[in-house]
Amino acid sequence: MPQNSHYRHLKEKWTARHKDLQKNLIEKHADSLKWLSDNSKQIMVSALGGLLLLAVPGKPLLLHHTSVASGQELTASLDKSVFLVSDLQSILPGPGEPLSKDQETQTLDILRRHFNLKISTEENGIRLERNYGKIGAEQHLARYPGDSMSTHFDTETDSRFYWNSGMAPGLGAWGYFAHGPQMTAEDIAREKYYIAIQTFLAPGYNENTKKYSDFFRYKKMLVVNPDNGKALVADIGDAGPGTSTRKHLGGSPEVMHYLERVDGAQVGSVVYFFINDPDNKVPLGPINLVQ
Amino acid sequence: MSTVKKKYFYSHIVDTASITIELADMDMTPDERIHLIALAETNVHHAVLDTVLSELPEEDKKEFLIHLRDDNHEKIWELLKVKVKNAEGKIKKTAEEIIKELHKDIQEAKNKK
Repeated sequence: MPQNSHYRHLKEKWTARHKDLQKNLIEKHADSLKWLSDNSKQIMVSALGGLLLLAVPGKPLLLHHTSVASGQELTASLDKSVFLVSDLQSILPGPGEPLSKDQETQTLDILRRHFNLKISTEENGIRLERNYGKIGAEQHLARYPGDSMSTHFDTETDSRFYWNSGMAPGLGAWGYFAHGPQMTAEDIAREKYYIAIQTFLAPGYNENTKKYSDFFRYKKMLVVNPDNGKALVADIGDAGPGTSTRKHLGGSPEVMHYLERVDGAQVGSVVYFFINDPDNKVPLGPINLVQ
Repeated sequence: MSTVKKKYFYSHIVDTASITIELADMDMTPDERIHLIALAETNVHHAVLDTVLSELPEEDKKEFLIHLRDDNHEKIWELLKVKVKNAEGKIKKTAEEIIKELHKDIQEAKNKK
């Protein structure tokens, strides 16, 4: 067999078996699993899914006890997340590998079905170098002249959670988000949910810098952690990370926290696609699966 | 790339090392190998969970799931030893069957031209 065909062959077989076993487990023991969901309010849906059903290949189980959901929501989300994660795992290549054309099409189909958003890999002839890659942690960005760690957080909780990430010494790719402390909700959200994308690697970037920069400025993207189904609408707020980091994009502290992604040795991958939202109707931030 | 192997409540009676050894001889990247080892372990894990849950009455299933959630292996075995006849043997048998199938798949991959 050609190189790496062994891997592909076994991956397909074992993923298919994984799906069958998982489906069987859910169907046979639905009542007990639902009961556990209802009685595990301190556990995130992804953690519960991970514990029982979604021991995702090559990625550590995450058990962050950081959010509270009602039992009903948890159960509903659990079921949906299980299928989203399972669908994605059967398609995505190994960590760090780019998507093939087929994988790209299939991933888009799955995400459109689960999130009901207009998403694509290409808009106005512009596409990124890749749509699946390793996400590293970025720092907070100054939103206006004078914004600092002491002015950055609206609540004590946010401050407690996100203080340690610190503030980047420079500005984001588009400068400040606002002129002063009187910010719109959108200004605040744009910094909170920003991602750094390797816009400079987009095919054609060097020949059309202005056109590309205008397009990428705060462009909304759907970002999904394929290991737990957590997703959010983010905006491109910065360019990076450098290619030497071997990471493909970066997420604000809030983005990383919500997606349950971490930097360092356990850096993980996400899928990310342009959202077509000409009327600016899709809000930035976490997004739920379609009911 | 290195990973810390997760210890499951049945790790002392189920050995997936034979899969790891088989994969070590095959032509793939370390990331791909780790990916497949994790997939194999996931296959075994789901099959074992099904076996255990199928042996327990509803109330005991709940207790088992709580201990599983809390990763409390001691409590899991306290429960299984009382509630499931020959729990270790049943888990071992299930795991061995899956591991056998995984080996078959590996042979099939190796034999494919």
